[in-house]
Amino acid sequence: MTVARTAVVLGLVLLPCAGAASAHHAFSPVYDSKRTETISGVVSEFRFVNPHAMLLVEVKDDTGRKVIWTVEFAGRLNLSEIGWTKDSLKYGERITVTGNPTHVVSHQMAFVKIVKADGTVLEPAAAQRADILEEERRERARQRTESK
Amino acid sequence: MTVARGPLVLLVVSLAAVTGAAQSPSRATVEGMWSDPPVTIVATFCASWCTDAGIERLNALLDNPANDSRPLAQLRAEAAAYQLDTYVKGRMTPAVLASFPIDPADDPGLLRCEPWGLARQIFAPHQIQIRRLANDRVELHYGEWDAHRTVYMDGRARPAGQAPTRLGHSVGRWDGDTLVVETTGIAENQMIWRARHSDQLRVSERFTRSDDGTMLHLTATLTDPWSLREPLVIKRTWRWAPTSTIEAYDQCKPPIAVKRGVAP
Repeated sequence: MTVARTAVVLGLVLLPCAGAASAHHAFSPVYDSKRTETISGVVSEFRFVNPHAMLLVEVKDDTGRKVIWTVEFAGRLNLSEIGWTKDSLKYGERITVTGNPTHVVSHQMAFVKIVKADGTVLEPAAAQRADILEEERRERARQRTESK
Repeated sequence: MTVARGPLVLLVVSLAAVTGAAQSPSRATVEGMWSDPPVTIVATFCASWCTDAGIERLNALLDNPANDSRPLAQLRAEAAAYQLDTYVKGRMTPAVLASFPIDPADDPGLLRCEPWGLARQIFAPHQIQIRRLANDRVELHYGEWDAHRTVYMDGRARPAGQAPTRLGHSVGRWDGDTLVVETTGIAENQMIWRARHSDQLRVSERFTRSDDGTMLHLTATLTDPWSLREPLVIKRTWRWAPTSTIEAYDQCKPPIAVKRGVAP
């Protein structure tokens, strides 16, 4: 079985929080940010396009049947800003993808995390920026404490 | 040029020289390519839209030691909710409150890949490229939707009888180093915060470059007698990004199915 379902409430979702930069539409009518699923398979196509990059992953289900999953990302620029290119995911590459499933449609998810066969972890831009912002916040708190 | 702004301004002037644009140095201060703001707490808070009330609230939350153990995302969300509820919503008329907030499942951008109207486009994430096309016009080119706006710098009036359009009719002028753009003739549509507006909406935008040259600031004043009891002053920030490029925006596909009533 290559599909694992995890019912967790994510602290980190594809959509940034209110007030932050967002995609060209809300994902909430399509994807359920309160649930995640994890799939393992091989890349059959990566479309590095706007408004949303798309990844097709060939996954074997419980019966051994091949199923194509679609993984939707934020826009190409979101990914470019953190160093992604059209070659970041290559045809035939084995990967494990965690994402938010849709409310209705099967075999489709919004990207949360990808782990490559060599252990490389790919995450959305928001996740990468979170560490920088938390460091700024800690520094601000330190300065506040020292000024007392 | 009235203020020396360091190497970045020189870069802009050099770029203009390469492209052959005979522009005055002062006008070069906001021209060029800008993209998502630097990764700081306040700048990212204003990556799409923000208000002075929201920034003050965010800073107050960050300065309160009692909040040190709370997740930053929670504080940002609280400040964002505060500016929406107290500043923006507090200025809405009963007419617009009746349908506020619009269900995101009813977004034409989602359902039909319909590009945004002006009151969303100017707060869209990612790039804005400001460049002079001719002596009498400036172009504002946005990464989101690959949208283009023409700003007429000769003050020409909107053609008589012209129906309101998605991005309206924009005229501009230079106020020192600040680019001022006034837009009318905007068709009924949505604001970025999922509220309707009428075709009486007027938007005044002021684009200024930060003293260190690294950021572009927009202050937009929105007035609409149908949807707003008083003007709204909204802000946003971009980062100087001369190597950024705006890519094709031609692969939009409507979703197969949507669920109503799910907040973003």
